[in-house]
Amino acid sequence: MNRNIPSPKIRALAQRLLAYEDSAANPSAAHMPAVFCVSEKLRHPLSTLAGNSGFRSLLARALTLAKAQNPRLAQCNVKPDGSLEGLGTEEQDAEAGVTLIAQLLELLVTFIGEGLVMNLVLDSWPNFTGITSTEKRDHDPTR
Amino acid sequence: MTPQDRVKINRLPTGVPGLDEILGGGLPEFSFNIIAGAPGCGKTTLAHQFMFANATPERPALYFTVLGEPALKMLRYQQQYTFFDASKLNASIRFINLSHVLLEHGLSGILEEITKQVAAADPSIVVVDSFRTVVRNVLENEVQVQGFVQDLGLLLTSGEATTFLIGEYIDSELRDNPVFTVADGLFWLYQNVERNSVVRKLQVMKLRGQASVPGMHTFRITDAGLQAFSRTLGLAGRTHKPPGTKRLSMGIPELDEMLGGGIPEGDSLLIAGSSGTGKSLMATQFIAAGIREGQPGIVAVFEERPEEYATRADSFGLDLNTPMKDGNLKVIYLRPLDLSVDETMQEILDAIEKTGAKRLVIDSLAGFEMALAPGFRSDFRESLYRMIYSLTGIGVTILSTVEMEESFTELLFSTYSISFLTDDIIRLRYVEIEGQLRKVMMVVKMRRGAHSNDIREYEITSKGVEIGERLMGYDHLITGIPRGIDRPALTKFSSRQKTAQR
Repeated sequence: MNRNIPSPKIRALAQRLLAYEDSAANPSAAHMPAVFCVSEKLRHPLSTLAGNSGFRSLLARALTLAKAQNPRLAQCNVKPDGSLEGLGTEEQDAEAGVTLIAQLLELLVTFIGEGLVMNLVLDSWPNFTGITSTEKRDHDPTR
Repeated sequence: MTPQDRVKINRLPTGVPGLDEILGGGLPEFSFNIIAGAPGCGKTTLAHQFMFANATPERPALYFTVLGEPALKMLRYQQQYTFFDASKLNASIRFINLSHVLLEHGLSGILEEITKQVAAADPSIVVVDSFRTVVRNVLENEVQVQGFVQDLGLLLTSGEATTFLIGEYIDSELRDNPVFTVADGLFWLYQNVERNSVVRKLQVMKLRGQASVPGMHTFRITDAGLQAFSRTLGLAGRTHKPPGTKRLSMGIPELDEMLGGGIPEGDSLLIAGSSGTGKSLMATQFIAAGIREGQPGIVAVFEERPEEYATRADSFGLDLNTPMKDGNLKVIYLRPLDLSVDETMQEILDAIEKTGAKRLVIDSLAGFEMALAPGFRSDFRESLYRMIYSLTGIGVTILSTVEMEESFTELLFSTYSISFLTDDIIRLRYVEIEGQLRKVMMVVKMRRGAHSNDIREYEITSKGVEIGERLMGYDHLITGIPRGIDRPALTKFSSRQKTAQR
């Protein structure tokens, strides 16, 4: 198994997160690609844990890995402040966004484990129902 | 001021087994503490154990990392410990990385951010990790250092939180560093390599408001985190039981007779002899006799595994498997080669607590010493003293065996010069008689009563140790090379003769 390719489970989670952000986008963020919104929502908890530069490093590493999988990301960059640029709202960009977010989540799984990543996602998207009950149960630390 | 007028300081559990006892009951609530030590000695893990033991969603813990290990990495490694409860993250325990704040806004920014977070979360615990690095990198001016430390200390204390600064310090910094003056508690962790063993120790250098146990205490880091072993073995404050008058059977009637009715309860008995003289067998008979009388026992073995020990006992008709299954006997096998006496003692004490043991066998002291890390061997005698004093003090009767190098010019009691630590001594030795290597035993010392002065021959048979009559017709028996005197010498002791004599 290629260690740089996210598992189907993580990829599916990334897909659901992007779809959720797409549908939940408020008018002011309507023009913004969902991948940017997901990245921004992850910025706060990750900066809290790893610092601003830590978050930027994680995102940059995820982008490097994702670029190898999807050439559409060639124009995408992580800006010095940790935000993303270079992706639009076209369908192909959406697919590239899934690849990038999946890489970021997979990277986090590598570092802190799936259980804590699921917690982090649930904390960042309290109303997100895209984590299946099985996934929740699998990682319920109280069990 | 009457005791009622005094402010009551709550003591919080540290979450580190053994540490509460060392601290005198736990960590004072709202205290401002420093955990110091070299890298890798367990500072972060100690703070984490405290957080996981005390933080609640109502009064959470805030863990600030500044220039040290980022929280992300910390989570990666700390979740390997069994105390790590992922359900507490975010609600009860929050990790906050302040490295960017330091780089962008300096120390004032750090203070400001901590103030903001503390005000927002109303935490019961605040930890600032890698504090030393912050001060070393940002402030060189001592006045500024003092000001920063005082501000931080005040901020943390006034927040009604129990707080920790974690830093890498070396011993020489202890003298002049103002931060140590401000702190209420100062905990220093050490990790020393001695020959091929690693020895971890901790010292409570300062703890305001309560009496902690002074001195160096060993600790170990396992999957469960830190476990500390108090020098007082957790027995501080317990009433020393006055010695009783009861005698315990050794399981060998003739030996009980030689001891004036058995070994006094609560005594420490040493059986010394060279290899093959039956020390371990006598110890096993002592334990088996206790089991028969309804007294649970503990055997600490260092040279064979519990199953082997039980099998060997079985070959002498002593069933240890049944009491082991019933929980009346615990055989503890200790051989990691880097143990501390305190750690060994903790294991023995836990077993005593669990089984209600009245008899303890340590087989042997040589094995015990070998199991210790080299650094602890020099303190073996002192450690042994603490152990024996503590255990006999709670009414446990101890039988220890010690291997002696046989000398044929003199009679040594012990190679460890520990005879003064024991109440009673039985010496076993080989003697050469008429071209045979035979065995004799004698009771050398009994602190609490008269004992037989006889030197008696004994044999090891399938029934265990069988003792014959006083060996007459020889002198210089204790040198191992007796001389016949002008009386008819006894022939070699045999069971048949013994039966006939009865």
